[in-house]
Amino acid sequence: MKFLYKILLWTIITLAIALGLSGYFFVNQVFETALDRAVDQALGDSNILQFALETAALNVPTKYDVLQDIAVQEISANLERSSQGSGRLLRVSDEERKTLYASDGFTEDESLLESIADDTVIWQILQQEDSYYIHTGIVVNTMDRNLYLETMENVTRVFDERSAGFSVYRQMTLVMLVSSSVIMFLICTVLTQPIRLLTRATKRMAAGDYDYRARQISNDELGQLTQHFNSMANALEDTIGELRGEIRAREDFIGAFAHELKTPLTSIIGYADLLRSRKLDEEKHFLSSNYIYTEGKRLENMSFRLLDIIVTKREQIDPQPVEADIFFRYLKDMFAGNTEQELYTIYDPGTVYAEVNLLKSVLLNLVDNAFKASSQVGVVEVTGWNTERGYAFQVKDFGVGIPEEELQRVTEAFYMVDKSRSRSRNGAGLGLALCVEILRLHRSELFIESAVGEGTCISFEIPKKQLVEENGGNEEEQ
Amino acid sequence: MIKILIVDDEKSICDLIDINLSAAGYQCKTVQDGLEAIDLIENGNFDLILLDIMLPGADGFDIMEYIRPLQIPVIFITAKHEVKDRVKGLKLGAEDYLVKPFDVVELVARVEVVLRRYKKTASTLTAGDVVVDVEARKVTRAGRPVVLTNKEYGLLVLFIRNKNIALFRETLYEKVWGDEYLADSRTLDLHVQRLRRKMKWEDNLVAVYKVGYRLEI
Repeated sequence: MKFLYKILLWTIITLAIALGLSGYFFVNQVFETALDRAVDQALGDSNILQFALETAALNVPTKYDVLQDIAVQEISANLERSSQGSGRLLRVSDEERKTLYASDGFTEDESLLESIADDTVIWQILQQEDSYYIHTGIVVNTMDRNLYLETMENVTRVFDERSAGFSVYRQMTLVMLVSSSVIMFLICTVLTQPIRLLTRATKRMAAGDYDYRARQISNDELGQLTQHFNSMANALEDTIGELRGEIRAREDFIGAFAHELKTPLTSIIGYADLLRSRKLDEEKHFLSSNYIYTEGKRLENMSFRLLDIIVTKREQIDPQPVEADIFFRYLKDMFAGNTEQELYTIYDPGTVYAEVNLLKSVLLNLVDNAFKASSQVGVVEVTGWNTERGYAFQVKDFGVGIPEEELQRVTEAFYMVDKSRSRSRNGAGLGLALCVEILRLHRSELFIESAVGEGTCISFEIPKKQLVEENGGNEEEQ
Repeated sequence: MIKILIVDDEKSICDLIDINLSAAGYQCKTVQDGLEAIDLIENGNFDLILLDIMLPGADGFDIMEYIRPLQIPVIFITAKHEVKDRVKGLKLGAEDYLVKPFDVVELVARVEVVLRRYKKTASTLTAGDVVVDVEARKVTRAGRPVVLTNKEYGLLVLFIRNKNIALFRETLYEKVWGDEYLADSRTLDLHVQRLRRKMKWEDNLVAVYKVGYRLEI
């Protein structure tokens, strides 16, 4: 059963019981009060009649010592007449509890009469056919006689009022239940709306629509639940996105790798086939075997680079303080042979906390890339300066630049902006990927700015030792 | 003489194709840059162009635009395996494509087929005094017709097209019989012997130890 209907059903049941009980007690209370009043009045009347009877008996001419039955009957008839219209009935009985006088329609019931004693008034409720009466009984002592006076007061009206009250109350209850059910239904619908929205969201997400979010329409616990659900969904979506990206990157990597393998393989297979099946002159023989050798070397180079990346991905490093000077001198030495292209170095003396060889490799790669992107007589600037966090490097060229849409991808393995051009310069598109991995070990990353035709500026900052350790420690905790 | 332009950014692959096609009797020119290739195509009067897709300057698809009005047949050379790239090449008007890495024999055969389709190549093959009319499927030696079986004919054409190249048993068998070669099959040797006798090629069609046969002319 739906939650909404459960709430509704229980509300209706509770309401019905509450309304029923309260109605019953209220109507009954009203009835009791009215009945009490009627009884009081009946008893009062009874006393008045007793007094009237006694008074009348005294006024009877004392011809006899004893009050005659006839006189009693006369007095009674007079009493009844005087109270004509009040609907009161009376009966007078003698000592032997034999009826001396009885109004028309007075009950035949003798049980009250039997129990009248002493001077107290007794009463009971009597039902005759559809009518209710208050039946009272009292002793009248007059002129040595003990007479029994009974009255019957019609109180059907009080009982009728009670049943009318019940009937009105039943109708009221019914109306109240129906109307409150409608209202409760509306309220419950509004209150349970967040649940329905959440359910829809979970269904949509289960069906693969990870973008879908539940709408938050309240600030109560359900609203909070929605909020938490949405933030959970966001986290999940991010993770899924990351995983998908990773899978795509891996597929791209494999695809690119296979592609990169094909060119050298075509040469190696082709020339080897040439050598084994054809009689070649000396020049062509050398050419062929040389191609096999160089292409083989290229494959070797590529596999080493790949290995570097894979190893670097796992390795932990132990950064040592190194003079910044060392890196710049190393670069100067490495590119000293470049006569046409020039390398400028401007740097502050300082200490770099790094793994020397790995960082050298990063700089070498970046400078090499910068030269490749530059024209024949290009200039590459390498600068270094102290920062708050550590030491920063920047490699700047004035070459072809990187198109904006490619900036995001340049650090992917095998990615080359100008594909055939880099390959013709023996690149496999692995350099920047390797740099990223090495810098990751140093808790650093590459910042690349570039404009097509103006050049590229790549910078990174190597943090101080304690930062490296702090961050390292954090990661292990995670 | 048929002139073929080879456009590939890898010098090693250009040279490889050059050596093989030159040996098959074609005149070849190689170029590694897309823009240079366009210049050459417009001035060169080539009969066939072998075109790589990824090129510096202008890529293979761009170059196709220049080639199309000249009605020169093109074979794409591509390292890309994806069907969509191959379809794109063919849609742009390429006659055929070769996927790297490729077999030399396959390269020569495809070049031959495309040229024949364009009637650029003579419908006759010659090797010494043997003349094969490929269209009429007639073989003459010193002017006199020679009767050959289907398989012998297939072998003959393959040998003449790949003169001075040692052809492997596997290659010969696969190309002529269209089956996978079984290591101890003597069928091939029997056919070669019969062909040798019919063509009087006892000295020309030599067995190459552990490899197969080579037609030396």
